[in-house]
Amino acid sequence: MNLGTRAILYTVRKWKKTLLIFCLLLSITILVLSGLAIADAQEKQVEELRGTTGTNFTVNRNTATGGWGNGGNGSYSTQEYLTSDMMEKIAAVDGIEGYNASIRTILCLSDANGQWLEQLEPTGHSMVDCQFYSYSCINSEYHSLFLSGALEMCDGEMLDLSFDNGIIISKEIADKHGLHVGDTIQAVNDPFSNDKTKELKIVGLFEVVADKTDERNNYNEASYYDYANNAFVSETTMKALLENYEDVGYASADFFVSDPEQLEGIIQQVQKITSINWNNFIITANDEVYERVSNSISDTGTLVTTLIVLTTVVSMVLIILILSMSTRSRKKEIGILLAVGITKPAVILQYVIEVLLIAVVAFPLAFLSSKQVAGMFGTLFNKTAENVIVTPQHFALVAIWGAVLLITAVLVSCIPAMRLKPKEILSQME
Amino acid sequence: MNLWKRVCLYLGRKKGKTFTLLAFLLVMATLMLTCLSIRSATETANANIKKALLGYFTINAKTLDTGLSADILRQILDTKGLSGNYALRSYSYANYYDADGNSLVINKEGAAQMPEEYENAGKIVANSDSEKDSYFTEGGFEITEGNPLTSESKNAVLLHDRFAKQNGLSVGDTMLLGSIIDEGDTIPVTITGLFTNTKEQDAVGITPSYDLYENIVFTDLSTVSYLLYGTAEERRVQYGDFYVNDPDELDRIMAQVQEINGINWDECTLTRYDKDYQNAKQSLEGLQNIVFIAIAIVSVVSFLVLVLFMTLRLRGRIHETGIYLAMGISKGTVLLQYLLEVFIVAAIALLLSYGASAAISDQVGSKLLSQITAETYETVDLTENTETEKQPAQDLKLSDVVVEISTTDYAFVWAFGLVLCLASTALAAYPIMKMKPKNILSQMS
Repeated sequence: MNLGTRAILYTVRKWKKTLLIFCLLLSITILVLSGLAIADAQEKQVEELRGTTGTNFTVNRNTATGGWGNGGNGSYSTQEYLTSDMMEKIAAVDGIEGYNASIRTILCLSDANGQWLEQLEPTGHSMVDCQFYSYSCINSEYHSLFLSGALEMCDGEMLDLSFDNGIIISKEIADKHGLHVGDTIQAVNDPFSNDKTKELKIVGLFEVVADKTDERNNYNEASYYDYANNAFVSETTMKALLENYEDVGYASADFFVSDPEQLEGIIQQVQKITSINWNNFIITANDEVYERVSNSISDTGTLVTTLIVLTTVVSMVLIILILSMSTRSRKKEIGILLAVGITKPAVILQYVIEVLLIAVVAFPLAFLSSKQVAGMFGTLFNKTAENVIVTPQHFALVAIWGAVLLITAVLVSCIPAMRLKPKEILSQME
Repeated sequence: MNLWKRVCLYLGRKKGKTFTLLAFLLVMATLMLTCLSIRSATETANANIKKALLGYFTINAKTLDTGLSADILRQILDTKGLSGNYALRSYSYANYYDADGNSLVINKEGAAQMPEEYENAGKIVANSDSEKDSYFTEGGFEITEGNPLTSESKNAVLLHDRFAKQNGLSVGDTMLLGSIIDEGDTIPVTITGLFTNTKEQDAVGITPSYDLYENIVFTDLSTVSYLLYGTAEERRVQYGDFYVNDPDELDRIMAQVQEINGINWDECTLTRYDKDYQNAKQSLEGLQNIVFIAIAIVSVVSFLVLVLFMTLRLRGRIHETGIYLAMGISKGTVLLQYLLEVFIVAAIALLLSYGASAAISDQVGSKLLSQITAETYETVDLTENTETEKQPAQDLKLSDVVVEISTTDYAFVWAFGLVLCLASTALAAYPIMKMKPKNILSQMS
């Protein structure tokens, strides 16, 4: 009888045992496959979590290396400003997901008919009451007031470079004057000069979350304005509004990175941009939040990885134990097979084929079912885990190493029986 | 032959099989124990992440005539869920005099106006930790001489170096802070440090004189309590920032705080600040889910494997069972023998697993960053054009993530392990026990 036939016959006749080994192999393979998928998912999730820490770096013009000029309001730095071109070059570095820079000024706002818009709590002086503390934005999403949570958008969209003449005002001001997203208002920097008046379309409204009366916010110019009297306008419009002024430009810009771990490398990349004279600018890293949580985040990562590694090692040990147990109980059979003149390699090969026959069914089935397992557990406990995905690479890895392991296990567990002569085997049987 | 003897003889004679069973149970018990200790460690790590994202709420009691009294503060701090980190703040204005009561000269250059009665006055800022004040963290103030003020400071002030120079004052000198309303009411203070501003004041030209950087004085909470409320002994404050362990609990804690009697909460403003947590919340939950799923899968599959393995093992002993039964040994006794065999091996395995798991836990523990006590802040290799943010060795009061086998976990694994052995052996033996001895022996191959 040929070896393949013997293997199949044995597998079929001992179907209960075959089924048990099949189930064991299936469970263990599912365990390892899910483990690999979880390890990958964990890595992705940790990266995502790191990305939520708002890590950024600021490029400031270096007033120490620049000259100083004298104007009406005292001395001012003549250091060069950041240009749009520079910022675009920096933002093009890999790993930077967005940036913002602001020009601040106090704008007088009026409705479409030129009627001044009054501040939230007017003082009674009409020329003061129409003043709004305004920031131009490259991307208002990254403006510190929105990032810190002091303000939150409640209607419309954030401002970015795709808007030429957009403005975001507070909901309170909009309500006070019956304005809505889509309405047009006007703005002028200094109504008593030949500054241009520009029309702006309201693209969004924000709500004030922070407590502006808290005096810790009163350390700069903006603190003299209630948050509700702030406004954010498109860069293009701001430039047009301020075209009569020379000393206007971006003194600093914030660049946000998607992975704080890359921050250092990204800053180094940025400093390699030769078209920017780095003597004139200072880079400051702001990764305070990340620094606070990074240790705990990597701890979680280490723990999950350990669990997966341990599970994989345990699975390998289990497979060896199970196969050696099943082979050991067939000592008598080995003796008989050898006694009827079948060579030792042929016997071992038969056993290997038997195991592989089971594995050939168990492995693909494990691949298919482990794809469901993670999702099933997710829904079972009402937890989402879209990231846990068993990929064909995982399967290939498990199939190849699994096969090697199975063959080794059979070989090793056959060693004791193979060392003996058939007579010895049969005579020592109980 | 009695039952115990049979058990011992079997285990001794079938050394290979006993060893396989021992190895199997040891591996499973170790996996279970480590799994449990890793689970509790990830919970600590997760709580640490939440804590380190620094969710807090601010009580603004500026409009209250009494401020936040020491008694109210104590009650607030007793609220469950606070991390123990908090900052107290007060702001006021005061007239500045030298030790002899002569008015000091303030800076007027760049002021939009000089309000009446503020000719020699400036803004007073008090903070539990002066270096955490927004003037230092946002406004670019830096200490140039002496030390920052802490909650322990008493009758101490920090002056702007230009203000000190202009008035011929230096660290160690005494000066007086006086109430704006009641001119004679003063409190002596010692200058413990000087600061300067590294950024220009952007409000120059529009700010009143008292808000100019040069005219700002930092002092301790007790001194400002005297200026505001006339109580230096009982420290009353205007603002408190209270950090919580779990930002998810902010609403509950804030509601609980507002139930404290003896203060008119309607006049206070409570604001929650947890933007960092809200940003991270979704990803954090995702990570937790992954940990949960990992542990769930490992547990469930381990259970399955254990049952299957026990079944496989008992199937090899059908013949033996038949003989026992034919000899007149009762089914119960045979089952008991099998159970005893497994229990003895399981007990040894469970004992050994403690050591094995402890060794693994130690290994993991040494890899955890939170347990590395050395300076964990990397020094970035930066060229002269780059500044690192100063990393204050901030004490977040995070718990150590410890991977260790707790007594309850160990007890659980013992109980669960033995029940599992019992169940799987009984389950595996059931089909064999159902048969008659004759049937068993006749169906043998």
